[in-house]
This record gives sequence, C-alpha cells and structure tokens, in this order.
Amino acid sequence: MRAFELESVEAIDQAVSHRRVHDGEAFIAGGTTLLDLVKLDVMQPEKVVDVSRLPLKRIETLEDGRLKVGALVSNTELAKHEIVMRDYPVLSEALLSGASTGLRNMASTGGNVMQRTRCPYFRDPAMPCNKREPGTGCSAIEGINRNHAVLGTSEHCIATHPSDMCVGMVAAGATLVLEGPDGQREVAFEDYHLLPGDSPEREHDLKPGELITHVILDAPRSGGQHYLKLRDRASYEFALASCAAIVNLDGDNISEVRLALGGVATKPWRADAAEAVLKGQPATQENFEQAAEAAFNDAVAYSHNGFKITLGKQAIVRALRDATAAARG
Amino acid sequence: MAPVIRPSTGVGFCTPGAQAEIAERPNAASGEHSDTRRITLTVNGEQHDLHVAPNAVLLDVLREQLGLFGTKKGCDHGQCGACTVHVNGRSVNSCLMLACLQEGAEIVTIEGLAESAGFEQGHHPVQAAFLEHDAYQCGYCTAGQMMTAAAVISDDSIDGDETSLREALSGNICRCGAYKNILDAVQSARGKMRGGQ
Amino acid sequence: MTTETQKPQRVDGTLTSIGQKKPRIDGTLKLTGGADYAADRNLPNQTWGYPVSSTIAKGRLVALELDEALAMPGVLDIFHHDNFDKLSRSPNDFAAANKVGESRLPFEDNEIYYHGQYIALVVADTFEHARAAARKVRAQYEKSDDQLTDILALDSGQGDLPGEDVPGDASSRGDADSAFESASIQLDQRYSIAHENHSVMEMHASVAQWENDMLTVYESSQGVVFQRNALAKIFGIPQEKVTVISHFIGSGFGSKLFMWPHAVMTSVAARRLGRPVKTVVPRELEYLNTGYRPTSLQRVRLGADDSGKLLSIHHDGCNETSPAGLHDDTVSGATPSMYDCDNVAVTNRLVTVNKGAPTSMRAPGEASGAFALETALDELAVKLEMDPLELRKKNFAEKDPAADLPWSSNHLKECWDNAAQRFGWNKRNPTPGAMKDGDEIIGYGMATQSWEAMRQHCSARFGFRDDGTLLVACGTQDIGTGTYTIVAQTASEMTGVPIEMIDVRLGDSSLPSGPLSGGSFATATVLPAVSAAMKEALAELKTLATAEGGVFENVDQDSITLRDGRLVSGDNSIEIAELLRQNRIGLVDGEASTKPGDEQDQYSFRSFGAVFVEVRWDPGISRLRVARVCSTIDIGRAINPLTATNQVEGSIVMGMGMGLFEQIEYDAHGYPYNNSLADYVVPVNADMPQIEVELLDYPDYLRNEFGARGVGEVGLTGVAAAISNAVYNATGKRIRDMPISIEKLLAS
Repeated sequence: MRAFELESVEAIDQAVSHRRVHDGEAFIAGGTTLLDLVKLDVMQPEKVVDVSRLPLKRIETLEDGRLKVGALVSNTELAKHEIVMRDYPVLSEALLSGASTGLRNMASTGGNVMQRTRCPYFRDPAMPCNKREPGTGCSAIEGINRNHAVLGTSEHCIATHPSDMCVGMVAAGATLVLEGPDGQREVAFEDYHLLPGDSPEREHDLKPGELITHVILDAPRSGGQHYLKLRDRASYEFALASCAAIVNLDGDNISEVRLALGGVATKPWRADAAEAVLKGQPATQENFEQAAEAAFNDAVAYSHNGFKITLGKQAIVRALRDATAAARG
Repeated sequence: MAPVIRPSTGVGFCTPGAQAEIAERPNAASGEHSDTRRITLTVNGEQHDLHVAPNAVLLDVLREQLGLFGTKKGCDHGQCGACTVHVNGRSVNSCLMLACLQEGAEIVTIEGLAESAGFEQGHHPVQAAFLEHDAYQCGYCTAGQMMTAAAVISDDSIDGDETSLREALSGNICRCGAYKNILDAVQSARGKMRGGQ
Repeated sequence: MTTETQKPQRVDGTLTSIGQKKPRIDGTLKLTGGADYAADRNLPNQTWGYPVSSTIAKGRLVALELDEALAMPGVLDIFHHDNFDKLSRSPNDFAAANKVGESRLPFEDNEIYYHGQYIALVVADTFEHARAAARKVRAQYEKSDDQLTDILALDSGQGDLPGEDVPGDASSRGDADSAFESASIQLDQRYSIAHENHSVMEMHASVAQWENDMLTVYESSQGVVFQRNALAKIFGIPQEKVTVISHFIGSGFGSKLFMWPHAVMTSVAARRLGRPVKTVVPRELEYLNTGYRPTSLQRVRLGADDSGKLLSIHHDGCNETSPAGLHDDTVSGATPSMYDCDNVAVTNRLVTVNKGAPTSMRAPGEASGAFALETALDELAVKLEMDPLELRKKNFAEKDPAADLPWSSNHLKECWDNAAQRFGWNKRNPTPGAMKDGDEIIGYGMATQSWEAMRQHCSARFGFRDDGTLLVACGTQDIGTGTYTIVAQTASEMTGVPIEMIDVRLGDSSLPSGPLSGGSFATATVLPAVSAAMKEALAELKTLATAEGGVFENVDQDSITLRDGRLVSGDNSIEIAELLRQNRIGLVDGEASTKPGDEQDQYSFRSFGAVFVEVRWDPGISRLRVARVCSTIDIGRAINPLTATNQVEGSIVMGMGMGLFEQIEYDAHGYPYNNSLADYVVPVNADMPQIEVELLDYPDYLRNEFGARGVGEVGLTGVAAAISNAVYNATGKRIRDMPISIEKLLAS
C-alpha cells in the first residue's frame, strides 16, 4: 500500500479547516472502504485525516421528532439502537443485511454514505473506468455487467451503488448535515448522491473540504416497514436487488408509501413512479405488480444484468406485501 | 544462519514453533525508516511500544511486529474474516484498520482470548467447544471464527437461535465448509457461557 | 527396507483408538494460534517479495519500466525476464514425483499466455514497501485480440464437442453406437461445469532461504516431496540439498498439490539477495495463478429399454487447458465403472485457453463427470416415469464393468437405502412443483457418489523412546483432513501407547517420503507404511529383549507380543521405555516402505455414497436455497469418524458452491471479472443446510490391513447433480450448466 501522511484531528473545525482542494487527501473513520481501495491503488491519498475521534458518536431525538445520528455512529450501533429498531425498522433491517458482524462494527454512518461502487473494473487500476479515470471509458458496458445497474445509468458508467443503509435512509427520509470551510449546510439525502451522467467521477454533492457530520432521519413514519435483500448467497454479499418499503394503510387502501431500491441503480434509488401508482389504491398483489412495472419503466438492461429488472420487480412486490402485512399488524 | 527450530517441547504433538523466531525480527511490518511514528498498542493486556509507518495495517503489525501469527490474512480486503480480532470488546477485521489509530484501544487476539475472558490460556469455552465438535479442518479461518463467535456469544443483541447465529457468523468464510460443526460448537459454548439463556 | 503389503487381516482385539471419534491431536495448536502455516514465519534478515502480473490475456511483454519502482523506499531488487537466473524446467512427471502446476518457468519468455501471468517480482524490506513498489512497475505490451477464455462459446450445441481429442482417454466396450440407435428410450444432452477456483483460505506462500548451497522453502504445500524434487531439478542440485516444509496448510483442495511459479521466483530472489524472501500470493492472483477446476463441457447419451435397463452410455468430455501447463481433467474417466451396461464409450477432448494452468480440484474429473452422468440419469428417469433411485438400483454394477474385476468392497446399495430412508425419499412427489410450503416450492433430488480408492507407495519411520513416547514420521502432510490424528490413532492402536504420548511429524520433505495429500489416497497409503515401520522397530526391540542378559533371554521372539506399551511373553512383561532405559538407548526406530501389491490386479477399489437433497424455491423472489442434505458414505473403515464425517459435510458445502454459486468469469477481452473472495461467491454459514451424514463401517481389508479407503473426495461427487435434480423437481426447469444462478432460473 502506498505511503501517506496521517493526521488525527480532535475537533470538527480542525477537520474541515484544511481547505482540501484536491482529492489528495481523504478522511478515515472506520476505514473499511478507504483502506480496501488504497491497497488496490484505486484511491491514492497523499494524506489521510483521521476523523474517528471527533465527537460525532451520538444518536439524539430532536424536538421536532427527527433523529439526529452522528456520522461516527457505527453501523452496528445504529442498527441496534432502541429508537431505530422501534421507529425505523426498515433502516435497521437494511443495515443488518449489509456486510458482516465485524465490518458493521467498524463501518461508520458517514462512511457508509461515502461507500464506493463494487464494480470490478473500478476496483482494478489496470482497467479503463470513467469513474476512476475520467475519459478512459467504461469497461463494464462492453464487459461483464451482471452486478451493474439498470436504473440511472449513462453511457459513461453503469456502476451500482452498493449500500444497503442508504436505501433504508431514502425510504425513511433523511437529511445530511455537512460541515465545510464555509460553514454548515444541509442536503436532502435523496439529492446527495449523483447520477453518473457524463461525470461519473462525481458521486455526491460534497464539496472539497466538507465532512458529513450527521444524518438526520425524518420523524418516524407510521405504518409497516420492510427491507428485502436478494442476492446469490444468503449473507455477506452485496445486493443483486433490494427494496425498502414503508406502507401506511387507510382501511384496505394505501394512504402513504415510500419505496427505495438497492442493487439495481447507480445511486440509492427512490422509486417514486411506483409510489405514485400505489397512492390511494387498494393494497393488492395486482397493484403491487403494477407499481413494480412502473418502477422499472425506464430501466436499461445490458448484456448480463437483464435479470435484475425481473428481480427488482419481485423485490418490490414482496417487500410491499410484507410491509403491508406489518402495517396491518 | 539456520532458522531457529525449537526442539520438541514435551510429549504429544510437536511441531517446530514459529514463535521462536519472532524475537529476532523487529519492525518487520514497518521497516526502520524515518516515516514511522511511535505508538503504544495494548494487545492481550500487554502494552507494546512500537514504531510503525502511518500506513501500517493492524493485522500486519500484530503478525509481523508482535509475532502474533494466530491472526490470519486470508484476503487483506475485508472479504473473509480470517483476520478478526477484538478491539474494545467488538469483533473487527484487522486487515482494514490502521495500527496508528488503535492507540488506547484494548486489542485481543486469539493468543489472548481465553485470558481476556478470565480463562486459562487455550481454555476459553469457545476453544474447548471447537475442539470437542471438530469445528475446523485446516484451521486457517479458525481464529477468526472463534473471535467472532466469542464476541457474538457475549452480545446481548444477538439471539441464540440457529438462524441468528449463522447470520452473525457469516462474515467468516470457512472454505473447508465446517459450518455445521462451527455452529454446533458456538451453540454449545453459548450454552455454557450464558447458562439457560 | 521394503516390505510387501500385508495380507488382509483384522487388527487384533477390540479397537480402542482406530474407528473412534478422537479430537485432533493438533487441535490445541490450531485453536490457540500456535499452528505454523507457511507465512507465519519470519527468518532473520528476511525480505518480502510481491509479484507483478500481466494485465492482458495474450500478447507479448515489450517493455518493463522499473525506474520509479526501484526508487521506492525499501526496494532491494526487481526480478524479471531480463535478469532472472537461467534454470531448467522440471521434468513435470507425476511418476517421478516432480510434477508442477505450471510447466513454464517464471519469466521464461516474454510471451503473455494469460491474464495474471507473473512478469516481475519486487523484493523490498517490508511487505508494504514491496506492494507499494509493485504498483509502480509499468509494463508495455503488444496485445493480441484473439484470446480465448470461454470454451462454451466454441460449442455448436450439437454433435461432437469442440477441442482436440485425447486418444488415451477414450475407452469403450460393446457397441455403444448401435445400442443407442436401437434403444427405445434415448437421451442426448449437454452439460457444463463452470471454471471453479479452490479459493483456499490461506493464500499460497513461500519463505525461501539459502544457506550455502542448501535451499529451505517453507511452503503451503500438499506435497512437500513433489516440490522438493521439482526444485532440485529446476535448480540442478541434488534432492538432499532442498528441504520443503509445510507443517500446516490452510486448505488446498488440489491447488497446493503441485508447485506454482511463486516458489521458484522466491527461491531465486533469496539466492540472489543472499537473504530469505517471503512471498505471499495476493488474493486476486490466487484466482489466476494457482490452478482451478477447468470449465468442462460434456455430452451424455443414454439408451435404455422401457424397464429402465441401460443399453448404452456415451460420455464425451471436454475441458480447458493452458499453454502454461497441460491439464486433462478426464471428466468421463469414471463413467465406465459406474453402472451395469454392456455398451459404453467415453472420450475426452482438450481446448487450450488463455488462462493459467488448470489443476486438480477436489474430486477432479469425477465431480464434473458425475454431475453430467447423474443429471442425465435423472432426465432418463423422467422419460421413463420411473423413480430415479429405482433406475439406479436397476443398473447397479455387481462388479466393476470397466475393469471386469470384482469390487474389493461395495455397499452402494446400502448407501442408497440408508440415505433414502433417513431423508424420507418416499415422500417425494415426482411431479415438478407439487410439494409446497407457504411461498416456497420444495424439490427432492438424489445422486450416486463415487471415487476411486487409490493407494501409493510410501515410507515412514516409527520410533520407541525411552520416556515412553513414540515418534512417527512421514513426509506427507495434514491439509486439515486429520492425518496427524489418524497416524497417532493407528500408532496407539498398534502399541497400546496413549495418543497423548505420540509425537507425529509430517510436512517435511526430509522425512521418509510420503504421498501427496490428495486423491483421497493419503490414509490408505500412509497407515500401512506406519505399520510396517512399527514392525521393524518392534523387531529391534525384541532382539534387544531377547539378547543375552535381556529380560526375555532364551524366549522365542515369536512368542513376544506388544500390549499397552509393553513387551509381553507368557506371564512376563516389560515396559518398552524401561527396556530402553535398561539398555541405555534413547530411541529404537524402524523405517519401512510399502506399496500396493497384486490386489490391484484382482479387485477394483472404489468408495461409494448416495446423496439426497431438498431445495426450496421461492418463485416470488427467485430465491433458491438448499435446505437439507442426507448423505451415506461407504469408505471402508473411517479411522476417525469425527474428522471423516467433517470431510463429507465440508464436501457437501463445496458441492453447494459448485451447484449454486461458483464461477470465475472472463469478459470478452479475456479479463477475469471476479477474482476476489467477495465476487467469487462461495457458501457462507447462513447458506448451510441441515446436513446429516452417515458413514457405513465395512472395513476394506483388501485395500490395507486397516480397512481404510480415504474420504476427501467422494462426498463432493454427485452433490451438484442432486441439487440440479431437486431443482427440476421443484421448478420443472432443467439447468444443465452449473452453477444454477438466478438468471438461469429466470431465463429457463
């Protein structure tokens, strides 16, 4: 692994005061993404700033009922926090379906938001990749793309966003708090991750020198929640397709619904077209299937990942069914 | 100079020990360059003053500098679990941790597992159960399996049913496929450690 | 000294150690971190190697730019084609015990034969320095675009398979063509097994050191003698000057049987630098550079009459091989022995691809071949509307029809019945999709399991020490199968000395030559040599005891027996350790060599089994899981049923990988797409089904005096077929290409 400088910071302003204007510097919290990619020489920081000791490890309920999660709360702590388990089960389930016991103990909330794609071409510096080296081309489009996205792709990049947690957060609704050299700002979680478009190297709305300090979850939504993750083996694998569903019923009709998808899209994906189909409609299998169709209306399949359209639809239908059952108690 | 081969140390199964050579190999992971920093690591209850490079990985420091070869490298990328150790009581993949960031942490490896939990060396209930249930074949993933198992058993948030345990153990790949015996051993050890729970 | 194979005889008396479930004698070492695997070793003044490998599949290495890498901190040297030592290739001969995995020498030429081929080795003072510098080596290639990495793409889908025929692999009896043509029931199908990787947990590693002109290599090896011999040939030095040590191996499954180039590179670097060098093959190169089970394409044709009697079997196989090393997997090789059928013809073909050399992977050939044959039989049963188990019973081979010899011992019928009964096969509804449970559809499938029970030549040493302990030594290995323990059990059984008092030495090429740990032949091979060596040592003891002034002076040596660590004659006895102390001798030992005898020409030796699988298919979310596996295995006597059962259970897990997940994929440019432990999907704990294994206990005394045949491979054969057959029963979909991935289930 390449050599780098290491600097530890104890306060947030210290962390963001460096005015980091190029990507020669990287923050490290849990390290599960950064060190993996530095060993592969995919990320090449000259300096690593240790933010793991910043006071960002609390989970607190705000007066407006929202839940403020420090960026350094580990995935395990977040998944197993009493309030999260009670009020945001879809997020807890999503977190616990990701990675492994050990990795979840290390990985931070902010780091999970910053997770990089698992595209093997991205992970191998010998291969062309527009995300890693803009302008070199996308190896996956003409290569093997079984694990790649069918939603939100572009001719420049079809890499899947790998996070489960982010999918749970999109469904639950959340806001990111960013601290930067120019002060603090908030970004809606859904707007944070960017579509690849013609600049797949830009993955998110984080400005140079900025740091994610908190994720604020919307006030809890009532109703039934479920996260369903489909993959080859039963555990310790990234999603081929996943769905986070929150369903509110008014009698037999769906009064409110939130749907988010993982494993099939280039960013944590809000399935709003599917939500629109369902709103006010009876919670029936037929309607679930129509919603699933709507979710993948704009899907584009490549040579190996066409099955993900079917699988993604199935994830939606089953997640809706189980979330509806939970809503009925 | 010949490698130091330890003579047989008593009756029973004997093999030349790797440990004998460790003392002669300071700073193997870091080199002796000026780009090192001085840190203190607490491993298995002992404090070690070390010089390590900023990019030195905890797994490599444990093995190459401290000679704690019981913790294994299976992939170096968080994809197998063989390097699992305890940091502050939690199971973690030591291949994805910087050594420099572990100052002040309590690190436990397989060599200190039993004593860290108040048992005689080598006699942690998980170790005893792995022996009894033959919960390994080649033994390479075994330290990681046991470190995860010990942490999982003492974690109140993980239920003792088969599904929960198998899921919690799934980050530790055993290519020999000894999963059945691993599960049996973990359930047995859990019963012993948690009583009727 | 060589002794001929002992006549079959039962071990006297009641067994106290053999056949008992004994915890491993190396267990405590493995459970406390004390077991020393190859990379768990740092030698004084040691350096680190890190390889650089080709990023193209075919072409020519034009230039290496090394300046930047050489200037990196800690770098000592970089070895490559232009500065590498001139060496000789190993003769690569199995019979001479110097076979290697890749026949090429590292950096031998500048041709690129496969992605991942080593092009340089960076050596530095630390691991991180070596890795960082390796990333700075730049290579220029002339790339050829006509690389081939997918043999399935060559297949027309009908008629002959692609590739070059291997004449020596073809065999036939009767007239299979005519019998097939006239059969009332015919089946003609193609099957394939994807390129599978061993994915051993311990990455291959070498620590090499030269002292004067003596080379010592600590290696993760399933064959220290083979590697010793190959290194001696390559460096042109006597075998006595090379020692290969492999006390513990983090599993091998065949990938560590034969030496790979990293060991040669590392040894050269150590000699050139005059310092020990440690090289651990990086995980991503494990998938490219240390062998694999080659993709195989197979065609099976079965002819039967209306009652299910097999009239003909054709089995044609084709597997990929490499310019870096020839490997013939002979996937159809076992088929002629499997069922009673008068007309059988098998062939094998090879296609050369731009990948590293394939090698043996657990149950090589037969695991792939059994998948095709046992799936074809299931398809035949569907055509016949016959129970697949009944179809197999109807065609049971009372003798080995290929060799026309009786079986040494065959309890396949009991395996079928035992496993079927435990599984509840009689509850099976043959109509696909008929068995349901909530969202899930249940499917049952079964297959026959089999593996040739080989035995090789072997030497061993056996010693009695004056402290009452025993020394048993053999240049074989324990790769996790439990060899250390069964050797101790055997020594204990023969002498009455408790297991705790037995010091077993393996994994060192300077010990008496032992076999590879592979092919399920180590047990059947090593134990007779241990026994023969013990008898040599015992004869020495008797001589000592009957000498003038000895405790048994004037006693007929034949009347002296060995019991509970004592020599006994009539009412007299003496503890052996006491005898040695009286004679002021520290150790009395014997060495012996054994080999199979003419029983090879009189009997056919095979292990058998039957495996039954329940799958659960949730069509609403396309989720397929193996829920339950019952297997009954006939391996003669299990020396240690605890470790032997573990082998079969582990085989089932590996068979699930073959059936459901495992596949190394190359893209159209010859790029290996999933060479990591995250992307090459192997089963994890949560995938484990309910597994119930039973070992029958019919000692095969024709194989050796202990009745043991070996257990490593048989449990894997048939598993993928049983899964595929169960999937058909659940879904009505016949997946003939392994693995049964989600997209295949959705597409069919």
